[in-house]
Amino acid sequence: MSSKSPPVPWTLKYKPKSLSEVIGNEESKKKIIEWLRSWEKGVPEKKALFIYGPPGIGKTATVEALANDFNMEIIMTDASTYRTEETVRRLAGRASQLGSLFGKKKLIVFDEIDGITGTADTGGLSEIIRVIENTRIPVILIANDAWDPRFASLRNISLLVEFKRLSVTEVTKHLARICAKEGIIAEEKALKFIAERSSGDVRSAVLDLQALAQGKDRLTYDDVSWLAARDRKEEIFNVLRMIFYAKSATSAKMAVNMADVDIDMLLEWIYENIPYHIKNPPELAAAMDAISKADLYRGMLKETGDYTFLRYIIDWMTAGVAFSWSRKATGWVPFKFPERVKTASATKEEREMLEEIGRRIGKRCHLSSSRAIVEVLPYLTIILHNNPKMGKRIARWLNLTDEMIEFIMKRAG
Amino acid sequence: MILGYELWTEKYRPHTLDEMIDQDEIVTRLKSFVKAKNVPHCIFAGPPGTGKTTAALCLAHDLYGENYREYIMELNASDERGINVIRETVKTFARTKPIGEVSFKLLILDEADNMTDDAQQALRRTMERYSETARFILIANYSGKIIEPIQSRCAPFRFTYLPAEAVANRIKYICEREKVEITDDGIEAIIELAGGDLRKTLNILQTAASTGKPVTADLVYAVVGKANPAEIRDMMLTALNGDFIAARNKLRELTRKYGLAGTDIIRQLHGEVFRLNIPDNWKVKLADVIGEVDYRLVRGATEEIQLSALLAKLVEAGYEMKKSLR
Repeated sequence: MSSKSPPVPWTLKYKPKSLSEVIGNEESKKKIIEWLRSWEKGVPEKKALFIYGPPGIGKTATVEALANDFNMEIIMTDASTYRTEETVRRLAGRASQLGSLFGKKKLIVFDEIDGITGTADTGGLSEIIRVIENTRIPVILIANDAWDPRFASLRNISLLVEFKRLSVTEVTKHLARICAKEGIIAEEKALKFIAERSSGDVRSAVLDLQALAQGKDRLTYDDVSWLAARDRKEEIFNVLRMIFYAKSATSAKMAVNMADVDIDMLLEWIYENIPYHIKNPPELAAAMDAISKADLYRGMLKETGDYTFLRYIIDWMTAGVAFSWSRKATGWVPFKFPERVKTASATKEEREMLEEIGRRIGKRCHLSSSRAIVEVLPYLTIILHNNPKMGKRIARWLNLTDEMIEFIMKRAG
Repeated sequence: MILGYELWTEKYRPHTLDEMIDQDEIVTRLKSFVKAKNVPHCIFAGPPGTGKTTAALCLAHDLYGENYREYIMELNASDERGINVIRETVKTFARTKPIGEVSFKLLILDEADNMTDDAQQALRRTMERYSETARFILIANYSGKIIEPIQSRCAPFRFTYLPAEAVANRIKYICEREKVEITDDGIEAIIELAGGDLRKTLNILQTAASTGKPVTADLVYAVVGKANPAEIRDMMLTALNGDFIAARNKLRELTRKYGLAGTDIIRQLHGEVFRLNIPDNWKVKLADVIGEVDYRLVRGATEEIQLSALLAKLVEAGYEMKKSLR
């Protein structure tokens, strides 16, 4: 696995460089190009374009790709800079007057304007209106909801362009393109599954894909089908972040109560992700030691049924892990799905079939079902492959049915 | 062509105490029970594949004769869910006295160390109540997990791994009977992989022989899922070189793809640690961690997580060594 290369979010890595790479919303894209072209014949009636639509469908990406195609420089501001009218004025005010006297043509973009506080008459919003009124260069506004009452005046002076959620087919195609570039052979069914869950949010679909497929050669439907609902995953990501980067022991422990996450499952998530966040060897060893202690107490809880062990499980998997390292983030690190759980998640029917096979072997070989599965079945499987005739005779002697034999052969792949 | 239709572990399972190989002391004591026609409650403890169940069945055979199956009951604590099932079964089974010279029946309870403490307490009462008509042989990997009150009522028997020579002789004997060609290095490879575990020995032997080719070391390693010590060494070196994630992936491959059990990996890791080119103080440190992992697995911890913690320790060892060289 290519664990060495620095983790770059695939949403960045595969950001479209040209409008032709942006998926979906063809009509809207055409409308934007027409509007931008109209600036070549002088300042048009509508000096601002107002793009709106749900998150993660490529609004900002479209504008950036467009600027690339038209060789324009973007003067971009987003919610974090809107706090005061002062900052808006400083960033955009002068640029709007500069025109294209020097260097590249310019384009002013106000992204995430839903994040602006205040009303149309005060603060950043009123300053944006002033910028539009006075501008000599194109202004683009981006928001999730254009019909917010606060945007009434903005709507009147802008050309509205709606971006719609992407279709499953469009998202699937995009995921397939990424897989091809990453050298991953992916089942279409798997990609479609990810696309469906994303409900048209291509950004979340790509992040899902990365979490599931990065470093792999192939991605099958089985790899993804067990996925929990997206919001639930967000929940786990937040909890993990709170644990790995905890400010205090108490806050690390609190993370467990924050959300309704199964402790068993959370332990697996933490275990899986430790080495991606904690790299310094002594710290890594300490963190793995902490999670292995949590696992020990988990084992003791299961053995004895004594739930007092639960508190030590939680101590070690949260505060124990957090305080084994410096908790300094080193860039963006994606959270990975626990491998252990993925492979363990055989279907109920498969588990029952396996158990019955174990029981039958065990009966002949004086073993419990579980030990028969571990100690005898692997060898029977190899014999069945090397010498099917002999293997089948032995299998029948073990009272295994033809269906069971087929199951064993298939399981080994 | 081999005319096998059953597993050799069963085909070559001894039927009488005389046929048992090795474990001489145990066999002698069991024979004295047969002679006296009296058997106390017993605990047979020891690692897998060392003849615990076989000894119990042989004892029953010698005690009751050919129809011994009528006088014994085999239960597996892992399969029979809950102590209530066991109690009810025992009640019905022990209600009647057997006809013949022996006045009690024999109840063989395998994997008794998988029972919770509460279940064992209930078992103790059952053992006492029916001790007139039923004697218990409790089989366990670790006698330490049997509660004290039961231990004190039972005669303890400690089974140990079979010595290499006894295993080699058994392999040769079976190869002769089955007309399987085997080389010396083939025998060595099987012993290396199986240790003194006879069930595993025979399973590996039969699996290799099922190819129809002469059994050589290469064939043994190739056939038995490449559970090759070299791969374990490779995993350790990857960790020592600082790539924890790659080492953990190797571990996953060893356990999942090749079906290697955690205990096997630990045994081989332990052997390798002292062959590694690292400072002696780290060898001792790592051996300590390995022992801790082994102990934790007995307590019900998860193989992969515990072994990963060990790999992380190896990463640290490699890092400290590099630092001291600078």
